[in-house]
Amino acid sequence: MLDDLKKIWYPIASSSDLPKRHVYHAQLLGREFAVWRADDGNVNVWENRCLHRGVRLSIGINEGTELRCQYHGWRYANRTAGCTYIPAHPADAPSRTICNNTYPMKEFMGMVWSGEETFGDPTYFENFDEFTVLRPIPINANFDLVKELVKSKYDKLNYLCKDEVNGAFSVTFERSETILFFVQPQDSNLSVLRGVANKALEGAKKISFLKMHNQILQNSRQEIEKISKTMKNNPMIAQISNVSVELSELPEKSEKNRQANLRVMVSEKIKTAEGIVSIKFEALDGQLPTFQPGAHIDLHLQSGLIRQYSLVNGPGETNFYNIGVKLEEESAGGSSYIHNNLRVGDVLACSTPRNNFPLRRDSVKTIFVAGGIGLTPLLAMAQALNVMNLNYEFHYFVKNAKHIAFSSILEKSKDKVFIHEGFSPSLTVEKLSRILSKRQKSMNLYVCGPGPMLEATRRVASELSWPDKSIHFEYFKNNNEIDDSSCFEIELARSALTLNVPSGKSVLEVLRENGIDLPSSCEQGACGTCKVNVIEGEVDHQDVYLNDSEKLEGNIMMTCVSRALSNRLILDI
Amino acid sequence: MLELYDYELSGNCYKIRLMLSFLNLNYTSKKVEFYPSKEHKSESFLELNPLGQLPVIFDQSVVLRDAQAILVYLAAKYDKSKNWYPIDDPDKLGFISQWLAFGDSITGSSSAARLHDTLFYGNFDIVKCRETAHSQFRILDEHLFFQEELGNKWICNGSHASIADIACFPYVALSEEGGISRMSYPAIRRWMDRFKRINGFVVMPGVFPAGPL
Repeated sequence: MLDDLKKIWYPIASSSDLPKRHVYHAQLLGREFAVWRADDGNVNVWENRCLHRGVRLSIGINEGTELRCQYHGWRYANRTAGCTYIPAHPADAPSRTICNNTYPMKEFMGMVWSGEETFGDPTYFENFDEFTVLRPIPINANFDLVKELVKSKYDKLNYLCKDEVNGAFSVTFERSETILFFVQPQDSNLSVLRGVANKALEGAKKISFLKMHNQILQNSRQEIEKISKTMKNNPMIAQISNVSVELSELPEKSEKNRQANLRVMVSEKIKTAEGIVSIKFEALDGQLPTFQPGAHIDLHLQSGLIRQYSLVNGPGETNFYNIGVKLEEESAGGSSYIHNNLRVGDVLACSTPRNNFPLRRDSVKTIFVAGGIGLTPLLAMAQALNVMNLNYEFHYFVKNAKHIAFSSILEKSKDKVFIHEGFSPSLTVEKLSRILSKRQKSMNLYVCGPGPMLEATRRVASELSWPDKSIHFEYFKNNNEIDDSSCFEIELARSALTLNVPSGKSVLEVLRENGIDLPSSCEQGACGTCKVNVIEGEVDHQDVYLNDSEKLEGNIMMTCVSRALSNRLILDI
Repeated sequence: MLELYDYELSGNCYKIRLMLSFLNLNYTSKKVEFYPSKEHKSESFLELNPLGQLPVIFDQSVVLRDAQAILVYLAAKYDKSKNWYPIDDPDKLGFISQWLAFGDSITGSSSAARLHDTLFYGNFDIVKCRETAHSQFRILDEHLFFQEELGNKWICNGSHASIADIACFPYVALSEEGGISRMSYPAIRRWMDRFKRINGFVVMPGVFPAGPL
């Protein structure tokens, strides 16, 4: 019987129960929900349990775009319920498997509806155009008993009572005034009676109407609870489902290269600056996976090319992906295809978002240095810091005013954004020296832009004694000429395999040929996706992802371009 | 300087700390160890308050016990805006006193259940304590629901919170430590969010802050 009830849509809250930045605590059939409305209006119905230590999320903090757990501050995104930040691991991007259970939601007739395994459309009964929602009455009794006794109460008051579908019932007074009642079974012995009347009332009339029915129902509650005390029902025990198989198991071995498991549709394409378009993608169906600031996606273009683009989205903007694409003069076909051929309505394949450029949020201050289109990942980061009210400076170097992209987002944090127009390379260095000279302990620098500018920033920061670990950068591409002439042996410690890497082939290619599928994205040593841990051997680093101290330590390598200086490398695979 | 005989985990002392913070008053906190040493029952403390209860304040020559009485005293004496305790408005004072008594009555139910569960204190009928708390919370939730419908954010009418809100807040907010869920009281939960956003609000162990609006 419980299985049948799980298919029914029940109202679990009045719309007025979800004011701005509040988290509502609900229960249905033994299962608790944390219900909250994001600033964009979306209502989230989630399992009432933080994935970390099981604390109720209903005591968490609704920050408008994310829900923050009260205990250790894990943050979960609007809509997806994916974890976006773990304060105890400030340098890491949370795994996409950290995603809370979400439940279906509809909002109509002034109420929020949900259910565990809802079936069909909830609007199976006559939907009132005008309505007044009664004060919900919690009753310590089984839902069947509540229904029976409330009906008989209204019957005695000369209302016409009628059963409706799925356990609902209506009471009508003098053929005009109808109240639909729904009994929300919180548990076997706990219900909430929710009523909605077929007229819109306001002011004193509304209050006297609400008070009248509130009184009738509270009187009825006394009788119901007296009887209920003598009855015994076993509590309903909600099973909390595990992480889905797809998320909990290692992906299947495959020889496919870069995977594109999402299908998205172009929903908006607008020119945001000279030579730069802003493109929004929406899911064809369902929910787009969670992303964190700094994340990028691989876009598989119809022309067969694969390109990486950073997401510009602010926190909680989870119903689309937004990227910025600059038309490259020497385009190999990627950016020119997007600029000239891609249209609203086109369907593309893309990868799930990957974050190799995570944002620390434990800095006393964060300095962003963006050059041209390099602002995209940094813009997502700045918006995350805005929400958390954290201190930062955003320096944006552009050719001239026409080249300022995403100005509407930049406008929102005017006092923190500094735009530097038309600086020559030498002036840029001078400016950077001034920006970076104000270094304090626990400050972090994030840089993204064209190669020469990035090099200059890293050099200036280093000269001003910024430690390597507080300089975070992302290159668009690897301009180094790759020398793949060496040949060497790789030993895979965990797979108990020894393979030969001949000249002309990358470690990544050799691994794939032997059935070991490593995730990869740019495949030119810029993005950091294909990194593996090195246990022994000297690495010939040819990437631009690792910083100098990481290269010197030699514990990590990019398998797409880096090779061995020694005869043998032992890898942690 | 004003002295508060204070225990960090006491909801009644928390009422006074809230008031002092809202009024931005400096004070010295005199720590009295309620658990485990029961310092509030010691001879030296009983001299101050023969009832052996916290809090007590010492202000110049005034020694005052009972959280509600202290709220009245502090607001009447130090709140120049007369928002927290409108001494010139008899109607409001009547309602405030009514809800001060209600706030005190929760000490016997919700607070007692919490002392029983978390501080292993007293010889309470825990089932009865919880039942009483629930019936009190039903009354408060209904009242706050209709206050919202009338456009009032607080327990008593008017645009500003009163000492009645302070008197009711701590043991409502700490009820879950005594096994009293507030799931069935959505209007109380919303009022708690509003209360936590009052400028000068401070937390205590077991009471969490609200997010920014």
